This record gives sequence, C-alpha cells and structure tokens, in this order.
Amino acid sequence: MGREQWQAALRNPVGAVAAGLLVVLAILAVVAPIVWGDAAEETDPAALSQGSTSEHVLGTDTLGRDILLRVLVATRYSLGLALLATAICVVAGVILGVLPAVLGRRAGRLVTAAVNLAVAFPGLLLALFFAVIFGVGARGAVLAIGLAGAPSFARLVQTNVAAVAGRDYVAAARVAGVGRFRLIARHLLPNIGEPLVVNATVMAGTALLSFAGLSFLGLGVQPPAYDWGRLLGEGLDRIYINPAAALAPGVAVIVAGLAFTLLGESIAQVVGVRAVRRRTVPEPAPQEAAVAEAEPDAVLAADDLRVAFPAPGGGWTHPVDGVRLTVRRGETVGIVGESGSGKSLTALAVAQLAPDAAHVTAQRLEVAGVAPLGRTGAEVRELLGTKVAMVFQDPMTSFNPSMRVGRQLAEVTRVHERQGRRAALARAVDRLRTVRVPAPERRAHQYPHEFSGGMRQRAMIAMGLMSTPELIIADEPTTALDVTVQRQVLRLLKDVQADTGAAVVLISHDIAVVAQLCERVVVMYAGRVVEEVPVERLGQAAHPYTRALLASVPDLATDRDRPLATIAGRPPDPADRPEGCAFAPRCEFADDACRVRPGLAAVAPDQRAACWHPRSQPLNLALDAVTGGQA
Amino acid sequence: MRELSFEGTTVRFGTGRSALTAVDGVDLTVPAGSVVGLVGESGSGKSTLAKAAVGLVPTAGGEIRLDCAPLRTRRDRRKLQLVFQDPHASLDPRMTIGESIAEAVPVRRRRAARTAEVARLLELVGLNPARARSLPSGLSGGQRQRVALARALAAEPEVVLADEITSALDVSVQGSVLNLVRDLQRRLGLTMLFISHDLSVVRYVSDVIAVMYLGRIVEAGPADAVLSAPRHPYTRTLLDAAPAFGVALDDPVPADDPRLDAEAPSPHDPPLGCRFHRRCPIGPLTRPERTICAETDPQPGAADRPHRAACHFAAEILEVPGR
Amino acid sequence: MTAPVAAPPAPTRTRVPAWAGNPWAGFLLRRLGRLLVSLAVLVTLAFGMIHLIPGDPVRAALGVTAPPDLVDARREALGLNDPLGVQFVDYVRSLFSGDLGVSMTSGVPVSETIGQRLPATASLAVAAFVVVMLAAIPLGLAMAVLTRGGRRRSTELGFTSTSAVVTAIPEFLLAVGLVFVFGVTLGWFPVAGRSDAASYVLPVVALALGPALLMARIVRVEALAVMDEDFVRTARAKRLPPLRVYLRHVFPNALTSTLTIGGLLLSGMIVGTVLVENVFAWPGMGMTIVSSILAKDYPVVQGIVLVYGAAVLLMNLVVDVLLAVADPRSTIREG
Repeated sequence: MGREQWQAALRNPVGAVAAGLLVVLAILAVVAPIVWGDAAEETDPAALSQGSTSEHVLGTDTLGRDILLRVLVATRYSLGLALLATAICVVAGVILGVLPAVLGRRAGRLVTAAVNLAVAFPGLLLALFFAVIFGVGARGAVLAIGLAGAPSFARLVQTNVAAVAGRDYVAAARVAGVGRFRLIARHLLPNIGEPLVVNATVMAGTALLSFAGLSFLGLGVQPPAYDWGRLLGEGLDRIYINPAAALAPGVAVIVAGLAFTLLGESIAQVVGVRAVRRRTVPEPAPQEAAVAEAEPDAVLAADDLRVAFPAPGGGWTHPVDGVRLTVRRGETVGIVGESGSGKSLTALAVAQLAPDAAHVTAQRLEVAGVAPLGRTGAEVRELLGTKVAMVFQDPMTSFNPSMRVGRQLAEVTRVHERQGRRAALARAVDRLRTVRVPAPERRAHQYPHEFSGGMRQRAMIAMGLMSTPELIIADEPTTALDVTVQRQVLRLLKDVQADTGAAVVLISHDIAVVAQLCERVVVMYAGRVVEEVPVERLGQAAHPYTRALLASVPDLATDRDRPLATIAGRPPDPADRPEGCAFAPRCEFADDACRVRPGLAAVAPDQRAACWHPRSQPLNLALDAVTGGQA
Repeated sequence: MRELSFEGTTVRFGTGRSALTAVDGVDLTVPAGSVVGLVGESGSGKSTLAKAAVGLVPTAGGEIRLDCAPLRTRRDRRKLQLVFQDPHASLDPRMTIGESIAEAVPVRRRRAARTAEVARLLELVGLNPARARSLPSGLSGGQRQRVALARALAAEPEVVLADEITSALDVSVQGSVLNLVRDLQRRLGLTMLFISHDLSVVRYVSDVIAVMYLGRIVEAGPADAVLSAPRHPYTRTLLDAAPAFGVALDDPVPADDPRLDAEAPSPHDPPLGCRFHRRCPIGPLTRPERTICAETDPQPGAADRPHRAACHFAAEILEVPGR
Repeated sequence: MTAPVAAPPAPTRTRVPAWAGNPWAGFLLRRLGRLLVSLAVLVTLAFGMIHLIPGDPVRAALGVTAPPDLVDARREALGLNDPLGVQFVDYVRSLFSGDLGVSMTSGVPVSETIGQRLPATASLAVAAFVVVMLAAIPLGLAMAVLTRGGRRRSTELGFTSTSAVVTAIPEFLLAVGLVFVFGVTLGWFPVAGRSDAASYVLPVVALALGPALLMARIVRVEALAVMDEDFVRTARAKRLPPLRVYLRHVFPNALTSTLTIGGLLLSGMIVGTVLVENVFAWPGMGMTIVSSILAKDYPVVQGIVLVYGAAVLLMNLVVDVLLAVADPRSTIREG
C-alpha cells in the first residue's frame, strides 16, 4: 500500500474522522490512567448511585465512584486488550492461512478443511467455547477472542493467497525456479498485504466490540479491574436510576469500534478506487461540418456521434469522438479497429445500450427510422421495439444463467407481441431450428450452460430473429469462438442476412473476418472513422493505418522469409489523444499538416479517408513485407 | 540447445464425473534449434501440454525428456522456460521489470553480473536497459511481452515454450512480437515450442507444425507439407476456416450439410473411435460406409502414416484448392 | 519425431459409482457426509472441552472449600475417573439416547433445561430472521435500482454510511440503546422478560437491525454487479420493461450470494441471541449458558454448545441445498 493511498484514505472525510478519533483514543489511553487513575478509584460514600450532578457529570456507581472518570480511564484497558486479541487473531490467522501454501498438497488440504469447518461456527460461539477452557477473566477472554477470530482471518488469507497463487506471475516465478519460501515472501505476501491491513483494522474494531460483549456478560474483565464492557454491564442494572451509567460506556465502545471499522472501510475504498462520477453534461463539441444529406434508404444514419464518460480526474473523455456512419437497408458493413478504438461503444450507443454513465450526443442519429436521442427510455423501447437485434461478443455471459434458453427467446415475443406462453415458446423453437440448432425442442428447455459457445451464439442470433429486425448489430460475435466455429457463425449471419434482408453491422478487430462477410469496411482509430472503403477496394486502401493493419497481420499467404510489417508505438489512451490526426505519432507520412484534424474526404468513388496524405498505390495483400504502404 | 520430447504424455484433471483427460498420450519431439508450432482449438490441451512440461501441472503418465534424459526434478525443469499468454498477468505488479528478470537469472551469478545480464537481456528484446527500474504498469502490452521473453531467456533455457504469446496483444503490436520471436530464434538458435490457436501465426514462425485435437496430436510434419498437403481432415478444416482475403465464405459445401453445424464434442466425453468422426468431412457423416471411423481409434497406427496422421484415410491427400 | 509407443492410449473415463448418475443423489450424499463429519468434530470438541480445562473441573465447580470425598464422589458420578476412551464412548452413547448429563449445581437433567429454554431462543431467532429477510431484500434491490450507474450520489452516500455505522454497532449495545429510548424514556415496550407480542419488539429489533442493513448493503452490491453483466445488456437489447429486467434477470442472479450471506447471518443471529437475551433477561439458552459458565456448571455448557453448534451446522446444510436448487449450475459444478 503506497503512501499516496494512505493519504487518499485520510482525505476521505469518513477516513479522516475515523483516524482523528483513533488519535484521540490513543492519547486518552496513555494519559487518562496517569491523570485520573486514582480519582476513578475514589469511593464517595456520600454520593452512592447518583444521577448527573455538577460534581459528577455522569453520576456515580454503587460505590460512589465517578462514572465519567471511570469511562475515560477504562480506555487504556479496553483498547489494549482488544489490540492484544487482534494481534493473536492476525498472527494465528496468517499462519493458518499460509500453511496450505507451504505444506504439501495433502496436509494443506487438511488445514483448509479444518479452517472451513471452524468458520462455519459464529465467532461468539467459539469465543464462549474458548472462554470455558481458558477460564473466566481478562486473560481467558483475550485468548478466546483472538482464537475465535483466527479461522475467519485464516480463511481470508487463504482466499487471497489462492487468488494470487493462481496468477500467471506466480506460475512464471515457479517456472523460473524460485523456491517455495521466497515465493511466499516476494510474490504472495506483498500482493495480499492490502486486504490484510484493511481487514486487520476492521478486526480490531470487531475485537473491541466482542471484548465489550464478553465483559458485559461477566465473562471478561473481572473486578476490581474494569473495562467499558464491565462498566456497561454494571450500568445496565441501574438504567432506570442513572441511564448515563449504561449509555456512557456504550457510546465509548461504539465510537472506538466505529473508528476502527470505518478507517478500515475507507482504506478499502481507496484501494479499490472508484471513479467519482458526476452527472453534469459535457460541453457540446464544436460543430465540424454541415450535416450531410440523409440517404433515403438508410437504416442507420449517425452524424458526429460522440460518447463521453466522466474522467476520474474531472472533465470528460470521449472514447467515441465524432463518428459518421451510414448503413443502407440490407447492407453488410464491417467496423474494424483495435481495442480502444471505440467501435463497440459506437454500436452500443447507436442501439441505445451505452452504459449508464455514458453521455451520448450526435448531430443526427436515426436508427430504423427512429431518432432515439432525447427520448425517454420507455419511448425508445416502444419505438425501437424489436427493430434492432444485437449479437454480443461473449456468448458465455450474454445469456441469463438462471433462465432456460427457450424462455429467454420467448420473452421477446411475449413482451412485444403480447403472445401467450405456449405460442411464444413454439416460435422460439422454430427460430432455434432456423439457426440450425440441432434438436431445438430439447435445447429450448436447457439452460445456457448446457450449450457450447457456438450454439449459444446461434441462440443469440435466433433471439434477434424472434421478430423481423431491420438491423442486426454483431459486436465481435466470433472473437470468443474457435476458428472452425467462427466460420459456422459467420455463414449463419450471411444466411440470415440473405433470408431476412436485414442490414448487418459486423464489428471485429480482425479485418480478414470483416472482409469475408461485408460489402463495406469502416476502419476506426482512436474514436473516429479513418477510412470507409468497399471491400473489393481494400487493396487500394488509402489511409496509412488501414494499410498498416492489412500488412501487419499474418495470413496463410504471408511470406515467411520477410519480417512482418509493424506499426511503431501504441494506440493513444482516450484521455490523452494527440491534437490533430490521432494516428500521426505512429505514421511515417505525418508532417505539420497532420496537426490539424483531417475530416473524411472522398479519395475514390464510395471510398473516403480521413488523411492529409492518402496513399494511392495499390497494396499487394499477398506480399506483406511492406511497411505502412510504401509499396 | 537440446531436443525436447514428449513420450506418451498424459494429463488428467479431476475425478469422477468431472474427470477430464486434457492431454492423452502425446508423442511430440521438438528438435534442437528448431521451432515446432502447436496449433489447436481451445480445450484441445495444447497449453496443458506446455504447463506439464514445466511442471505446473502434474502428468498422469508418459515421460518428458530433454535429449533422452527424463525431466524429474525442479532443477531439470528450469531448463524449460514458459512464456505466458497474458503479459498483464505474468509480471508481478510490485516488482520492477529488472527484478522480475533478475529473479530468473541462475543464482550462481554475482550481483553486478546479474545487473549486467538484465541490461543485456533487455537490449536483446529491444527495450532500453534503463527501463529495468520501471514497474510493469508503465509498460504497454507489447513491451511487457518482451520483458516476459527476456525473463524466460534469463534462466538460460534449453527450450522455450511460448503459449499463445500474441493473443492478448493488440493487432498492431502482434507483428512486432512475432518478428522478435523469429529474430531471437534465428540469432540464438533457440529450440522452441510455439503454441497458438491461429494457424497463420504458427505458420509464420514454425519449421514443424503439429495439430492437436481433443488432447491428441492428430497430425505433425514439416510446416510446408502440413499446410500444402494436410493428411488429417481436421487440419484441412482448420485451413479452410482461417479467414483470408479473397477467399469467399461460401465453399462448395451445401448449406444444409450437417457437418457445417456439428458441435465440437466435450473433452469430458470424447467420442469412441476417431475423435473427429462426428465432424469429419470425409468420415461417416458423408460416407456412411466408413464405419471404421466410429469404431476404431486411428491413433495406434499413426506413426506409420504420412505426417503421423491419426486418420484411417490419411493416404488420401486432401488438396487445398488455391494455395 | 519419436518412435511409436506400444502402450495403448490410457482409458479416458474412470468408473464412477451408480448413484453418480443422479447429480442430486450425489450432491445430497456428499453434503450429508460433510454434515456428519462436522457433527462428529463438534461432539468431540464438546466432549474435549471439559478435559481441556486446566486443573480439576469438579474441584473448580464445587469450590476450594468442598470436602475431598464429595469432589471424588462427583468425579465418579460424572465418570471422570474412567479412562478417556471409555468416557468418550459413554458420552457418545448417552448422546444417542438423548441424555446430555446432569447439571452439577442443580442436579436437573441438562436435556430438560434445554427443552425449557430452547423455544424462547428459537422463536427470537426465527422472528428476527424473518424481519431481516422481509426488510433487507426489497430495500437492497430498491437502493440498487435507484443508485445504478452512479445516479443519486447523495442517496447512495446516505444509505452506505448509515448502514455502515448501524452495522458496526453490536446488537447488545443497540439493545441497551433501545431499552433506554423505548423502554425507559418512552415506556412503549417492556424492557425485560418474555410475555406477550410486545415483549418481542425490542429484542427482535435489536437482533435484526444490524443484520438487515448489512444484508441490504450486500443485496445492493450484488444487484449492481449483476446489472453490469452482459446478459442484462442482452435483456435491455430486447427492450424489456425495466421491472421485468430487474425481477426476472437481475434478482434471480443476485440470489445466490444473498442466500449465502443470509445463512451466515442466521447462524450469527442464533448465537447473537446470547447477548440480547442477557440484556432483556430473556429466558432462553443464552441466559443459561452464561450463568452456567460463571457457575462452572460444565455439563450444561457442554449441552448448550452442542445445541448451538448443531443448529448452525443444520442451517448451513439448508442454505447449501437452497443454493443448489436456486442455481441450475451448482449441482454440476459441485464435486
């Protein structure tokens, strides 16, 4: 845990208050017994069991001792015992937690099983059990609370160790010949430190409260010694006479317990930093070009589409930064780009499925004849209905795991066409058959986990076909699938497109996949469209990025004796894009002109590129040993 | 550099109903100084084979040898080094890249010698030696994968195993890492097992290509021969499926052909006979008279067939049109 | 390439017992097995407790002034002079016949005491659990829906900080506070004893408030996590009405962890009754175990520890079975 993180934890108001309280408590623990220790023992026969008076602000106990002073003096004992118990708990927990990693497989499993069994029992039950064995008293209670907390702390250590031990870098260290103990010291413990510190802090709070509980029951600190729990127990008997006698130690316990717990939690929050989201609206971007004429048969028309997210340090980032995209009825368009190019977010924004935190704007956005921007969610649902079908990247996670596949499909018809359960299910089975899922009646009654990846992606396509979509957006539909299955799914998409006449937008990082299915390719880089080109003209791609992309990916015809073309550098971070052409820093043709952002301009019929220096030489795709389109 | 060979290597996971034989009697040799490309779908057991070689998963049978000497102890296994798929996960986020590399340098070296070695290795993989003090978080994916390669080389390995080292990288960065692998291999004469699901990538770096399907090697041979004249129909399917420019999605197979939509069998329950017969374009699916495929395992006679193909009909050359 | 290997390929499928054909039978059998092992450990620990106490427990119980022959007679009666193995066998045998021994101080059979005290404790725990579930799940879901995607930051902050503070207050302190406000100051509810429905209010609230807020926090966090899942995006892509998305797609998938935590809370609450009973002088097992520990009446402590422990283990079994029913994948993953 770095210094900045501690500081961040303290900057958090809750964390700051908690830390401040702990400092005050620590000072009290040191000072109070020295200053008021004797006064707190002083009995006053003249003022037995009094309520609040000017002399005794919180009243007195049965022997006439001042409650306030006793509560203050008890700080040291209460905190000290709690910290002692915490120390026992943490040490025992870490030992038990790390043991399975040190011991062999069999002995390790035994330790894990024992810890798991012990964790099943609530801490208080274990504490009572140990309190019987170690005897009633402060020593017994410290041991009891420490040991009772050890199993759950050990479980925590084990979980963390297991998570870290499963990481590749631990495997890599093992392969590199790093020994078992060094592995624990260098790789395991440092990487589980943060959660352990957090939990030890919270544990201290829990120990304090548990200790108060045991003392309150009379099983902890024994007279004449006293801690807050003891005072509370004595005070409760006289709550009708002097409520303060019970409430004051209670408040002390709560304040101290909360200080530990809240400090731990605010550290935990800092460790798992969450961006502060503000729901203000980003400034409108300067209007760039006049809105182009809408094509009459467009099923999707987007102009200057922008998606903004609140940035962690304030302000906004624009992962999608002025995209222009038109898809004609029945057309197949591929969007290609690397991760971070904004291609998936473009698709989600178009379908009105962008994440909640996103702010979507556009000069114009029309999807299937509907302009969804500025409408309420209910209106969008009503208008778009089933006109846009989505196929997502990961078929494993895109189905509800706890609902049968057939019902998930039938749901579409039931909601949008108000059909009965049976009719909707029959349609689902029919659609599954259309996408060539074998034995669709049986499959419809299965859960998603009983489907293979390829079958799930088919079912996802079938879900889009429950009605007649005008636009199918497939976002990396084959990335999670094997090559042979990828081909099946692509062919299916092609067949579906031919049968239904729906337009298809296929999003992929793989330009070869897109080229196989699509008529037109849209290349995105750093949130913008850099080139639009008909697939048969890919060989004459004009933008240096498109050309480099084509040349740097090996295919089955790549010349093995020559190095692959490469693109220097890496794609820019959305929060930190260069002015002007975003590709310029990686481009060998870049010059001063590229400091101004280029717009999409026609370089050939149906082909547009956003580049000041478009290339015109044909690119020999079979001969890849060219750098960035010099051929 | 020495020769790595797997002999009947078997790896099993789990017991009872969830038992799974991930690697099933694999014989494979990586000759000294050459690159063997191992290609297969996810779940075919290719990564498990590499993990078994370096001792990250225990084997249930067979032997892994380095120049005929079986690998038994941890010391033996240090002579094999594995490069992992995800460079974001394979470097300890709390150690500088210099420390990560130095950790793999054999301990007999002195401190100064180790520092010098780290600098040399960083230079070798095309990184500025001054970056030894940076943490992995300051590096891009491609740079981290270079560090991972340097760490593998630091252990002075006899054989390097590369497990899908480009699949987690951005498309525009993949090429440079592949170039580096090829370049290092040629300059240092590395012996290498290069694992990938992408036939095009494997083809680019390998001298020998082995194809794995459901835990078994179904075909292995010189790269050019395997690609131009595959003997196993699965290899042929992979070649067909690889997306390529100018190759249309429609092949001559009619759209209602059942094998187009055949599902890959579960590795928990591999089919009897030939493991590929339910998806095979030249098997009982299209030629009902070929019942042998569903009944007899083609693995035993594989060594006598061309490309050691695990196919009863390996003698038929499967032409690859247009290549 | 290597030479051919003569050995035939290893068999890939191992024989499995017949019951494995039915995943439910297998699951229940495994789970019952685990319960039996846990119970065995619990019984051993309860038996061992009396032997782990340093010194002579009978002497400790009767006090230093007790005549030696009385101590010896009591030791004999408790069977403490027999070899350890014999004692253990006797102990287990009498457990099976429902005999938990006799109180050292009152001479009343322990099973009789527990029989009298158990209903009070159980009714308190069950009532509190029902309150927790009825309050926490709707509250957590509503909070998740209201604060999704960083909306209503102030609502979120208010909820999370209030619940964090209340959750950190242990039930017995809450009980004291409630007694002061509603019993002493306002006089609305009785502050001690178990009689009519009104007497349940304060103990149940004291026991349920913290767990309810904790549970609501967990339901909220889980529901928010589920809302980020791909399949919820799929549901939105189907343009389903929000209520349907939350009830059909989000909630059932947040249920697993809710159940897991619910089970932990209930076992925590069973034992939490010990403290609450002592605040409200509730005539349950919690009062009894504390007074027995103080009086060193070990057979009673042993018996009550056994009952608490067995209740917790049974609770865990029920939760595991419910989890298996709720999640269609779990029976397959288990194993």
